[in-house]
Amino acid sequence: MKTVIVARPGDGNFVSRFFYGVKSLLTGMRVTFRYLVHPSTVVTQQYPENRKTLKLAERVRAQLSFTFDENGFHKCTACHICEQQCPNASIHVMDRKPAGSTKSELDTFIWRLDSCTFCNLCVMVCPFQVLKMNSNFESSVYDQKLLVYNLTPYAGPASSVLMKVADVEERKKLIDARGPYDGPTALSGFPLAGISKQVFPETTQIGAPQ
Amino acid sequence: MVTVEIKTKISSLDERINAMALQGESPLGTQEYFVNMGPQHPSTHGVLRLVLKLDGETVREIIPVLGYIHRGMEKKAETLGYRQQVHLTDRLDYLCSVMNNWVVSAVVEKAAKIEINDRIQTIRTIFAELQRVQSHLLWWGVFGMDLGAFTPFLYGFRDREKITKIFEETIGARLTMNYIQPGGLMYDIHPDFVKDVKAMISYMKPMFKEYDELVSGNIIIQERLKNVGILDAQSAVALGASGPVLRASGVAHDLRKIKPYGVYEKVDFSIPIGTVGDCWDRYSVRMLEMRESLKIIEQLIDSIPEGKHLTMKPGAKIRPPAGIYYEQMETARGIFGVFLHSDGSEKPSRVHYRTPNFHNLWCLTKIAPGGRIGDLVSIISSLDVVVPDIDR
Repeated sequence: MKTVIVARPGDGNFVSRFFYGVKSLLTGMRVTFRYLVHPSTVVTQQYPENRKTLKLAERVRAQLSFTFDENGFHKCTACHICEQQCPNASIHVMDRKPAGSTKSELDTFIWRLDSCTFCNLCVMVCPFQVLKMNSNFESSVYDQKLLVYNLTPYAGPASSVLMKVADVEERKKLIDARGPYDGPTALSGFPLAGISKQVFPETTQIGAPQ
Repeated sequence: MVTVEIKTKISSLDERINAMALQGESPLGTQEYFVNMGPQHPSTHGVLRLVLKLDGETVREIIPVLGYIHRGMEKKAETLGYRQQVHLTDRLDYLCSVMNNWVVSAVVEKAAKIEINDRIQTIRTIFAELQRVQSHLLWWGVFGMDLGAFTPFLYGFRDREKITKIFEETIGARLTMNYIQPGGLMYDIHPDFVKDVKAMISYMKPMFKEYDELVSGNIIIQERLKNVGILDAQSAVALGASGPVLRASGVAHDLRKIKPYGVYEKVDFSIPIGTVGDCWDRYSVRMLEMRESLKIIEQLIDSIPEGKHLTMKPGAKIRPPAGIYYEQMETARGIFGVFLHSDGSEKPSRVHYRTPNFHNLWCLTKIAPGGRIGDLVSIISSLDVVVPDIDR
């Protein structure tokens, strides 16, 4: 095995140790002084002043989100694979069966940021690449209950089913709007000081089971 | 037929403290007293509680008390599938999360006989070495801060950020990576990865000279570390120490050399060994290890083989045959091992983690008595303990 023995410097008599000590302290000071007179070496980021120019890497895992096609529809078929793979039950896929249909479709997609460990397994296993981790890292809120999100803006079938319906008005009948805090495990919070009203969309029925 | 009788005596903390209080008299006729260091103490790096028996400034005895960050990881692992095990190990030794992921993935691959290609092995090795440098840089910064120098902390974090940026680009996380999966990697490397790593290496090399000027050469640092907390080779082996702590005591033991995994047998690197086993040797071993890690990355970065980054579908079920499996690797702090007992189902029936910090911590009970409280801080820091790994 190739080994190196680490050095043990600084052995010697008192006088040589004394001069070594003075020299070592001055050498250390030279390093800090060099940075003092070179302000261009400063690496501190001025957050939140640099918010507009701050660009995070593409793969940063900060929040789970849905991807939509150019018409604003998602491809989720409510197959529950992400829910099964989630190690800590942070995902609840609520599906519904519309009247006269045997196929179930997505109603609400509940994602709990408060218990999510950002392991990315749901994104990896999604057969339709619906889920995506985005880089919106500023996720702090005033109440833990506000961390339970519904990711889908509408309840209804996947885009492949919707696009078969040619008429735009007919399509709208198939889908119902959903807010970010909708769903059976949704927010049962209350307005807090410092939070404006628009955090709670008017469509949201707080705590009402569907 | 040989019968082995194992005698264990389990005593509570109160009993141990009472027993210690009755022992011996101080030679000066002074009174000995007990002090709690932690669980909330800045230099215990987390919620580690140390019960100290002191005679003035001198530490007579020391009991580490664990349990303040116990999360029941091993029990929790029994309720999760093999693929979901990996993300739990990010939360053990959070500074070596990629290496921890690798060990779990390796044991699952061994159990379920999953084939992996050379590209995966090479990328895993590069990431493990990047993480080793990153982990040692953080340790170096915090070590300076524990000794009363704030400047190294900022320098260490500044340079650690270069590696963290590379992780952020390819993995998407800065601390809890969950990158290495059974059967491959979560993502293929980022297109800029090779370029960024090369830029990082050429940036880091002159920085080591600066670290030596600022800290290693400093007379105060040297006087505070030399001949403090001497751990002889025999006790280090007996206490189960591993990693830089063991190597600083003069034992040339590194799993990367002894039982090579990944692509370590293809690369040329050497193992830094200490002679005395004091804090200075532990410090120097880590400083040299960072240079060796960069050497390993340099040799591998230009020749990453082509291939897939994942050899099986990410959602495929893993059912290893019933049996007992064990795999261990050298993380930045020592040997991390995963014991897996499979009953043939989708979930393991027992998981045990052999964590390096747990064993390294008990060296404290051997080397701290006789020293001063000020030395105790530098000893804890030189052992480089990460408390969530001790307690899990």
